[in-house]
Amino acid sequence: MISEEKLQILTESAKYDVSCSSSGSRRKNEGGIGNGYAAGCCHSFTPDGRCISLLKILLSNDCIFRCKYCMSRADADVPRATATPEEICTLVMDFYKRNYIEGLFLSSAVVKSPDYAMEQLVRTVKMLRTEYNFHGYIHVKGIPHADSLLAHEAAKYADRMSYNIELPSETSLKLLAPQKSKESLLLPMKQLQRETLAFRAEKRKGYFLPAGQTTQMIIGASPEPDGQILRLTQSLYRANGLKRVYYSSYVPVVQDSLLPAVGAKPMREHRLYEADWLLRFYGFSAEEIVEDDGNLSLELDPKCAWALRNPQFFPVEVNRAPLEVLLRVPGIGARSAQKILSARRYAKLGFSDLKKMRVVLKRARHFITAGGKFFGTENQAVLRGLLTAGEAQAGAVQLDFFRELQAARTALTGEL
Amino acid sequence: MIYFYDGSKPSFLTALLAAYSDDGAVLSSRSAQLGLGEKTVFVHADPQRAEKAEQRLLSYDPKCMQDLDLLLRSGADDRDKVAFDYFRLLAARKHPVRGMLAEDAAAAADDCIRRVEYEVHRFHGFVRFLESASGALYAPIAPDNDICDLLLPHFCARLAQCPFVIHDVKRKRAAVYDGTHTFTAPLDRAEVALSADEAAWQELWKKYYKSVNIPSRERLKQMRGYMPVRYWKFMPEKLGDLK
Ligand code: SF4
Repeated sequence: MISEEKLQILTESAKYDVSCSSSGSRRKNEGGIGNGYAAGCCHSFTPDGRCISLLKILLSNDCIFRCKYCMSRADADVPRATATPEEICTLVMDFYKRNYIEGLFLSSAVVKSPDYAMEQLVRTVKMLRTEYNFHGYIHVKGIPHADSLLAHEAAKYADRMSYNIELPSETSLKLLAPQKSKESLLLPMKQLQRETLAFRAEKRKGYFLPAGQTTQMIIGASPEPDGQILRLTQSLYRANGLKRVYYSSYVPVVQDSLLPAVGAKPMREHRLYEADWLLRFYGFSAEEIVEDDGNLSLELDPKCAWALRNPQFFPVEVNRAPLEVLLRVPGIGARSAQKILSARRYAKLGFSDLKKMRVVLKRARHFITAGGKFFGTENQAVLRGLLTAGEAQAGAVQLDFFRELQAARTALTGEL
Repeated sequence: MIYFYDGSKPSFLTALLAAYSDDGAVLSSRSAQLGLGEKTVFVHADPQRAEKAEQRLLSYDPKCMQDLDLLLRSGADDRDKVAFDYFRLLAARKHPVRGMLAEDAAAAADDCIRRVEYEVHRFHGFVRFLESASGALYAPIAPDNDICDLLLPHFCARLAQCPFVIHDVKRKRAAVYDGTHTFTAPLDRAEVALSADEAAWQELWKKYYKSVNIPSRERLKQMRGYMPVRYWKFMPEKLGDLK
């Protein structure tokens, strides 16, 4: 059994990785323990409001690299620990059996060399799958500069892999993570994308990254504006086929003249996630959401901001508007849009019907008509005031689980 | 008139038939405060009539019995009314009413069913097994809705080799997997001898829970929204936070 002290060190250095999602895999239990749960599943929530789905841990925090923002960097004076593959395997098995976790998110510092670190990761996940007969979720972080065959080997056992692009531009990467290069992160991503496509095309047996790839970048450690970040995000989705792009607000755990002394505002991260949501589920493009060198409004959520910039689009009639148009209405989420589509097949909907259906109209009423009736205001200045005030009240934007069950389910899998 | 029934499907269907054309009908499966002069009747399940009602309803909507099953599992106070109104609407319209969300009865049933399903989803994550000395797993739970047997397929698939018991301590009912078969049984109290390592794994889990948190970003309200305090009782990582 791994010691409490080791567990603590290896967890503390892994916890700034945002992703804890266990979604996207339908792996079957083949005579052992565990299986995939495509919708993802949260097992607990920590006081910081994040979901625990996976056991998020480093194999080692003993690093030869010196990324400026990282507390495990080679020149940092921190306690070091390295776990054995066996220690990780038994930990996963015993936590999983008790239903503490949905699987493993295994990462590592660059211990000894990129190849050595990656070999250890591969050894561990291979052992877990083949000797411990574990079929639950496994997410493996790729080590930059490691041999491409090792990445391929890891992908045979993992459900998901990620190479974190770390910073939103090459310049910042050079400055803050000098031993990593754009190529060392993007090439393996491309390689795995090609191999996954080939695997699917040949309809081979078994699994090869069934839950795809994700990445993460730090927000607020470097000067890139939101516009640039969202364009990069969009291209990672479109050209690299990534499943998710995560943002992690910069937390100053390290002092360095190259780094800002204060962390990024949580609201900025929140807005970026809202914008990312619009990219993935609501049919928006990055160009529609924010100009190249612009930043997202902190006061208004990006959908409201877009709606205010595009008054010619509104109001839309709820009895006729197609799904993709309904989804562009501020205040109408996926669940509400589905409800409207369903209910209007039976009857023409008026505002009282929408209320009965618990579609929240506070913001939406300024952008829709129901049966030709309009109950909002068209005065842009007033409207702006109303929408901003509503935001402030909503505070930390609580999801109503029953209103937005679908959305909430995804949120629950740690994807918010 | 208030129609009391026992909460089971046949008795609900019998009560539905009896109450259907009574405009002031109220269905109830729980002891209720009776108003002065209120008339009551206790409906006993009539299997034959219930079967006929079921066939009729199924001909209107082949999926309606799944709805009924979930509605009758709900722990919500207005559960009986919601189920009655929903099935009365179905019987009146004679076609599926599930999507007619502008109808109060359909919207309320939709909501009620979602809450039950959502709790099942939550408990896929929130169940905490204890390892017994024999290796079998035991999880006490106290959910809002009567769902312990609905958790069986999920855990059977993943724990395949390992027998387990999920014990609803509120309803004194257990869902059991013996390694081959599943069944439910009444279970009042369970005495479980824990495995030698159980306590140590719980300690490690608590350590993990503590270490993975980022204290500078505390958002307790959010945490409690996702994982309500009433569920904490059987979660080792939260026990210390319960007063
Ligand atoms: S490679 Fe960079 S980010 Fe990763 S552990 Fe080492 S110093 Fe930290």
